[in-house]
Amino acid sequence: MENEHVVNDTPAVSAELFSGRSSYLKERFIRSVWFMTAVFGVLTVFFILAFLVIDGIPIFATVSPVEFLFGTTWNPTGAIPAYGTLPLWIGTVLVTIGAMVIAAPLGIACAIVIAELASPRLKAVFKPATELLAGIPSVVYGFFGLIVLTDFIRVNFDIPTGETWLAGSVLLGIMALPTIISVSEDAISAVPKEYREGSLALGTTRWQTISQVIVPSALSGITAALILGIGRAVGETMAVLMVTGNAAIIPDPIYNVLSPIRTLTGTLGIEMGETAIGSAHYHALFGVALLLLLITLAVNLSATVILGHIHAKQTGSGKGPGRLSALLARYQQNLKIAAVAFILLLVAFFVSPLVALVFALIGAALWYIPSHIQPRHQQNIAFSLLYVAIAVVLAALAIILGYIVINGLPAINWEFLTTAPRALGREGGIFPAIIGTLYLVTGAIAIALPIGVGAAIYLIEYTRENILTKLIRTGVDLLNGTPSIVFGLFGFSFLVLYLNLGISLIAGQITLALMVLPTVIRTTEEALRSVPTSFREGSLALGATQWQTISRVVIPPAIPGIITGAILSIGRAAGETAPIMFTAVVFSSRYLPSSLSDPVMALPYHLYILATNVPGAETNQYGTALVLITMVVGIYLVAIAVRTHYQKSIRW
Amino acid sequence: MDTSAVIETQGVNLWYGDNQALTNVTISFPEKTITSLIGPSGCGKSTLLRCLNRMNDLIPSCRIEGGISYHGTDLYGPAIDPVHLRKQVGMVFQRPNPFPKSIYDNITYGPRMHGIRDRKTLEQIVEESLRKAALWDEVKDRLSASAMGLSGGQQQRLCIARTLAVNPDVILMDEPCSALDPIATAKIESLMEELKSQYTVIIVTHSMQQAARVSDYTGFMYMGELIETGETAKIFENPEKELTNNYITGRFG
Repeated sequence: MENEHVVNDTPAVSAELFSGRSSYLKERFIRSVWFMTAVFGVLTVFFILAFLVIDGIPIFATVSPVEFLFGTTWNPTGAIPAYGTLPLWIGTVLVTIGAMVIAAPLGIACAIVIAELASPRLKAVFKPATELLAGIPSVVYGFFGLIVLTDFIRVNFDIPTGETWLAGSVLLGIMALPTIISVSEDAISAVPKEYREGSLALGTTRWQTISQVIVPSALSGITAALILGIGRAVGETMAVLMVTGNAAIIPDPIYNVLSPIRTLTGTLGIEMGETAIGSAHYHALFGVALLLLLITLAVNLSATVILGHIHAKQTGSGKGPGRLSALLARYQQNLKIAAVAFILLLVAFFVSPLVALVFALIGAALWYIPSHIQPRHQQNIAFSLLYVAIAVVLAALAIILGYIVINGLPAINWEFLTTAPRALGREGGIFPAIIGTLYLVTGAIAIALPIGVGAAIYLIEYTRENILTKLIRTGVDLLNGTPSIVFGLFGFSFLVLYLNLGISLIAGQITLALMVLPTVIRTTEEALRSVPTSFREGSLALGATQWQTISRVVIPPAIPGIITGAILSIGRAAGETAPIMFTAVVFSSRYLPSSLSDPVMALPYHLYILATNVPGAETNQYGTALVLITMVVGIYLVAIAVRTHYQKSIRW
Repeated sequence: MDTSAVIETQGVNLWYGDNQALTNVTISFPEKTITSLIGPSGCGKSTLLRCLNRMNDLIPSCRIEGGISYHGTDLYGPAIDPVHLRKQVGMVFQRPNPFPKSIYDNITYGPRMHGIRDRKTLEQIVEESLRKAALWDEVKDRLSASAMGLSGGQQQRLCIARTLAVNPDVILMDEPCSALDPIATAKIESLMEELKSQYTVIIVTHSMQQAARVSDYTGFMYMGELIETGETAKIFENPEKELTNNYITGRFG
């Protein structure tokens, strides 16, 4: 009542204040559209989870959950089918451990070199080079592993086949490197320069400063980097599938790295295409996918939590050092001793007490000797080792790229690029595969870009941090960590079967779109966040509405960032095999798809089949790999160029 | 005064890229005194300070000419290792920069890096340095707490204690009070007075009052040049140069 009274009494001036009713409605409408795009991400995660559960649960009618998890035999096609996933997830764990043994030291060393040691000129080489590693499609890694790495292992260790745990770990290690390097480097670079100066001013060497102040300060970021690397390794399908031999056995003895091995992802990749829909085997595979998803969710959630702690610390919203790092610091000495003792016990138990003793002696020497070397010499040794590490990584990149380019170039000619394959791809070209990949990627980005950008706008511009945004962000993070093969299974079960779209272009496009959605959302968020608040305040203070402010003032300077995100997504989508394997592709098709419901050929899948199923197609294998790598790396280079160009030109 | 100089510079020129930041600076810093460098922002006083423990080496585009000697040896000569030099010539920065470690670890960091491992010795160093920095009574019960939880003034005194722990000869202070409130500033200033009995202190400050209060000698810098130097009382009461007079009477800067 009182309010009404006030309104009636207000003089004419305020008539204008109340006239904005229709524009208010418009604002509300726009806001709700962005809200729905943001919620889409969360819903997708629940949807994926729900469909895996629905399709996975029926297996427990056949075997008990305990037997499913801990049964030692996986033989779904045998006379008496067995569905024990123990060898599979042990395989995943072992391959991942092996990968991290390789990737963790190399990755952290490279991050230190890039963040602390390299001159600006060297940094301009090292950083894009390590990022390039992320640009190589996993099927190309797999191809390289199959042709070169396994052969190398077979010859050098004198074993009948090189398709082993070791091969898988080496490949996965290389593939996990870019994640570990870039996240650790960010963490190290974020250490305040004051720490560095404070330490150096006390007369310490650079190495002492790096090892005693900088790396410990960046420890939680480096931990998160390692966990993300683990997530990457656990979720990888194609490369592992192609080099590990895929025997569902537990290595005997358990540390035998030359034993073949089979992972959860590999099982899905191999068996999904060959099982009858609705059979126990089919449901068992969804159970495997569920297990895989839960493992990666747990891994990625812990990384998110750790990174969140760091963010709170940097923005000053946390109090002092994080609880975790404080705890770690307090019990550092004890933790170290406990960890060493545990590892030695493990070795003594599984391998032999003698080996454990040797390790202990080497460890003691390593612990004792450095304190008796002059700091200056310590620094020389340490820096040399760091540079050796980055040299190893660059050499790996050069070998992979060089091998494929040298062998692939002879295959490339006009006919190869413009004609359809003949004789199962041994002859003829790859034109339909190129076009198919382009169709898939275009469709995927056309779907993911509006949804992703909308979600990011909602998250950054319309809400303060609250439970809902936290939920949405977590959803996006989880989506980001979901293995690509799980997207493939979801696409198959939901799009192909449930919606009855069949193996079709549209099913592949949607599946890929879901996969790249988190990348689009994250990069757009970054871009919007980097637009200063003063721009928004300036516009709002002139009486512009929120949407006017966003569309005219905030988005234009954020466009380069958004484009970079889009390009990165295109690159990722173009190189992926697992999500389209069961949803969109056929190996051979003489014709181009005439509608969205036709299946297509695609480069990564074509390469996969040529490399694994078609003997005598060597030339065309290399040719396809080269075309694929050129396409994806080319796309990434464009993204890097766009980013560096605008980083230089935008200063406010 | 010249006979007891710890550090002397002789016609120092310094460039950042093409930018000349110091022009022909000649000054000497007498032993066990406090010398302050004053001047308007950008006059090169911090740059000069950072030459004295070669912290400028860390800036790639930095080029230096002229002589700086430390107890008579050339500071930039081949025989000098900047790492060893910085042990002798410690530095306290504008903003307190304790490491994200415990108070104890902050103090013992330097000594341990220089090879002291004995726990007893380290504990002794911690107490001694904290006492000298007038912080012992405030933190003695929580040495294992994080240094980040201290107040700004306490953090700065911790940084001074950390510098004392490596037993330097000279202490450089780069506007050590500019991020602190008046009470914390007063504590640091009285601390400097005590440090003078054992160390040579060189301080860069924005506050002319501070320079007048704490220092024995004062150098006034302007546009990369040392305009005038001498006993503090003389500089403030009876400067030789017109420019100095204008600055200390507040006509510019």
